[in-house]
Amino acid sequence: MIELILLIGALIVSLIIVIKSADVFVDNLVEIGAALGISQIILGVTASAIGTSLPEFGSAMIASLSGSTDIGVGVVIGSNIWNIAGILGITATFAGVIKTESRDLKRDGLVTLGTGLILIFFMFFGDIGRIASVFMILLYLVYLWRLIKDQKKFDAEEKVKKEKLVEFDSEKEFESETKTSRMASIDKKKLALVCVGLGGLIVGCRILVYSGVELARIAGIPEMIMGLFTLAIGTSIPELVVTFSSAMKGLHELSLGTVLGSNTFNILIGIGIPALFMSIPVEPLSMSFDAPFMIFVTVLLIVLIKTGGNKLNRTGGLILMATYITYAVLRLYVLA
Amino acid sequence: MYEKILVATMGEYMDDLIEHTVDLLHGRDAEVICVYVVETSVPFLTPKKVKEMMAEELTERGKEILVDMEKAFTGPDYSNIKFKGLMLEGSPADEIVKTAEKENVDVIVMGTGKSIVDKHLLGSVSEKIVHHAPCTIHLVRTA
Repeated sequence: MIELILLIGALIVSLIIVIKSADVFVDNLVEIGAALGISQIILGVTASAIGTSLPEFGSAMIASLSGSTDIGVGVVIGSNIWNIAGILGITATFAGVIKTESRDLKRDGLVTLGTGLILIFFMFFGDIGRIASVFMILLYLVYLWRLIKDQKKFDAEEKVKKEKLVEFDSEKEFESETKTSRMASIDKKKLALVCVGLGGLIVGCRILVYSGVELARIAGIPEMIMGLFTLAIGTSIPELVVTFSSAMKGLHELSLGTVLGSNTFNILIGIGIPALFMSIPVEPLSMSFDAPFMIFVTVLLIVLIKTGGNKLNRTGGLILMATYITYAVLRLYVLA
Repeated sequence: MYEKILVATMGEYMDDLIEHTVDLLHGRDAEVICVYVVETSVPFLTPKKVKEMMAEELTERGKEILVDMEKAFTGPDYSNIKFKGLMLEGSPADEIVKTAEKENVDVIVMGTGKSIVDKHLLGSVSEKIVHHAPCTIHLVRTA
């Protein structure tokens, strides 16, 4: 009993360490990048794309490298199902609505769906090896390049819009009490914090995976289940808080973009990079049920948004939540 | 009767708020203070960069909204109105109440906001203001 409590405690503490370390790592890396003269657009897009997904990637990577490949694949697929059905379901239900632009849904939605199909395609050939790995990493780089290109276009459009605003409001600046951010400068503290963040991420992921494996052993459940649910939901906490709070603030693009971007990253990088170092075995049930279910919830999301007039409304949110509960019941009780 | 009006907006139902404010004035001279609050609070474990990104995005949106409000309130038909735009940071209800006290406004014009379901699920800024404001409130039905 004491062992169980200690392991659950270790799981929770390591989750917090992993999430905070990922934040410190990305935050300081971006500051260093800015000081080195890397474009703010590139830094912004990259930071938002990987910022919330590092915990999943870290735990999938550490799990695979320490021999628990089932947990690694479980975290990725489980997170992707939870991100859409759980996180977007909860957010749309409570916030009332998540809006999107047709263009964004087409780009991010189809890319998420496409990467899911690519994963299934590689799973057909058995273990996921180096060729698949290189293909997935290259594909992610292309996606990132596309995101940066779109952001540049968006920034140019915004600049034109701002110039028009200045024309109208040439003399006056609204009284403002908002704080402005300081210019970045490279220093030893930031470098040290990058190292601390990376170290915390590695150590935290190691403890997380260890406690997950041990809990699975004590409870007598497969490691895959631990990855699909406990670790997947735990490592997706950043996505949950960002998606929910941005929807509440009316920042809908960020809300949906976080989930879809994270799902793409989880597959192409979360499986792609570990597969570069070792062959990732495919569990039959992952191939026949989990991965197809991941595709199903992605299609369901796109259909719900399309039929809602580019909005995911409360009914859609409830449908997604019911879908996740159905998945969990089937996976834990019927197919276990 | 009303010489100083605070219009609280988050960018929604702007036409309704403008229409009601102008109607309240009946052509009398008055100062209209439009307030947009950038809500910066985020849950624990929100990545710092994302928090900054949210604040930047909301600030940009606030600027656009205040420019639109200024355009609407300083048109040729409203020479009686002196406009002031204020962008604040913090909790919307607290900042609006604080501004109303600081500026000594006569009335706050704002929307009722969310539907009854949303109010129960999320709470309501307008309800908080109604309970703490130092002046009259003009609530425009928007939901």
